[in-house]
Amino acid sequence: MVTTLSNAGYPPGTVITGKWRKSRYIVERTLGKGANGRVYLVHRAGVRQRYALKVGYDALDLQSEINVLSALKEQMHNAYLVEADDHQDSSGDVPFYVMRYIEGDPLHRFIGRRGKEWLGLVGLNLLEKLSLLHASGYVFGDLKPDNVMVSPYGKVELIDYGGVSSIGRSVKQFTEWYDRGYWNAGSRTGDISYDLFSFAVMCIQVLDEKALREASRQLPQTRSMTDLVMLVRRNPAFKPYAAWLNKALAGEFADSREALNQWRGSIRGPSAGRARSRQQDTPRWLRNAFALSLFILACTIFFLFR
Amino acid sequence: MKQILLITDGCSNVGESPVMAAAHALAEGIVVNVVGVLDYGTIGELGAFEIQEIAKAGGGLHRIVGTPQLAQTMQMMTRKTVVQTIQQAVNKEIQHILGGGSLEELPPDKRSQVVEVVDELAETSSLEVALLIDASASMKPKLAAVEEAIRDLMLSLKARAGASRLAVFHFPGRGSEEEVVLDVNWTSDLDGVRSMFGRLQMKGATPTGPALLKVIEFFQYGTLGNNQSWKGHTGQEEGMLGDYVV
Repeated sequence: MVTTLSNAGYPPGTVITGKWRKSRYIVERTLGKGANGRVYLVHRAGVRQRYALKVGYDALDLQSEINVLSALKEQMHNAYLVEADDHQDSSGDVPFYVMRYIEGDPLHRFIGRRGKEWLGLVGLNLLEKLSLLHASGYVFGDLKPDNVMVSPYGKVELIDYGGVSSIGRSVKQFTEWYDRGYWNAGSRTGDISYDLFSFAVMCIQVLDEKALREASRQLPQTRSMTDLVMLVRRNPAFKPYAAWLNKALAGEFADSREALNQWRGSIRGPSAGRARSRQQDTPRWLRNAFALSLFILACTIFFLFR
Repeated sequence: MKQILLITDGCSNVGESPVMAAAHALAEGIVVNVVGVLDYGTIGELGAFEIQEIAKAGGGLHRIVGTPQLAQTMQMMTRKTVVQTIQQAVNKEIQHILGGGSLEELPPDKRSQVVEVVDELAETSSLEVALLIDASASMKPKLAAVEEAIRDLMLSLKARAGASRLAVFHFPGRGSEEEVVLDVNWTSDLDGVRSMFGRLQMKGATPTGPALLKVIEFFQYGTLGNNQSWKGHTGQEEGMLGDYVV
């Protein structure tokens, strides 16, 4: 009884018209697929202003998401939700909502492209977003790199609010690696530590994905938070963040303000800077060039004394 | 709210039609979800068809997945079914009040209020899930994954605000008279349970239908007992799938 869009989504040029508010949006392209809907890049008919528009698979699931977004709209001046409506297509009424379009890359791609040294800043911006959400009484739930959009200068926006739940309620949506329950490290009740745990796993993934993948491969009953702690200890790349990560994994932050302040301290403190510059790796091109010159030298010597 | 989650990897081949049994469950207010587990090979057209039919008759969902997705699938199904059950009840109320129409037809602001109520009830209502595990020979290598998935489901249920408990059964039993075995009685905590499926005797028979009927009985009387009331139905055991059973 799961309702799905029977077709492969709307092709570019499709006009989506609101049944109740009569706004018209023109599809430019598909941006992605979430757990409960498909997201398109659209512009309002006649205007160049671009938005992201999410078409839901199920009216109830989508409305639940819209409810959270409108509650957030009232509490945070940074309005994300533009409007919600229904569109009539060949399969009947389909619900959709319109949100601000956020240009950028998902977290892992951003860090992969720009370098791991950006994690400090991006993490800081993300923690700021999270603590705003927490202060409004919600937890994000399904925190993972795909749901974190980073703009070119490290500004961060959370996307896909389908997993958001009130503090104290069960987490609605989660993804294995980032789930506290998956690591036998605690409940699936939505509290601020749940989000901070996911945040810590994201950092681990960004800095050492291979080790995280290995840790996740062991038997489910032996998987534990200690594996993550060990992994952080082993790799020197974690050094500036280690204390923060351990605290987040153990769920020891009293609130997200404290987590935010400690993160700021660990990336901006005097010791942090030194730790980072010391472990700066020689760039790969330099190493390659060095190897090449050694090779040429060897050849020269060989031909010289032959 | 009551749910049965059937985990199997193929066709039933003994006794009453599981499709009929699932329809009985639904009549008793118990929704039946079915997960087909498969790692190698195929589940077969017949098996897939039966899985789909059982879920349809039982008013539930059905999925066919590999063991790595099992835990997540079970969690998602249980959650979706809870919401659906409440939504159906709420829709009935809406129709009662408005004389027709459903959630989808309500204007956005009304819909928002209704969904708020549905979400609240989905989180706070009490829930009982009976897991019925097909332990026929071909399922043996998958049972460790099944047990893990059940523990994972318990973790999700524990996080709900409403009271939640689950029970675990497997079938077939040891003798020919025993269609189903109770492994874990109603519980809200599996931490004390060492191993769910102790030593199983793997047999070829897959009495899915009779096992389902026994679990319905368990929901009603809290025991698998010797209550043979369902035996009365054996005369009509050539249910919907009677013709297909090989």
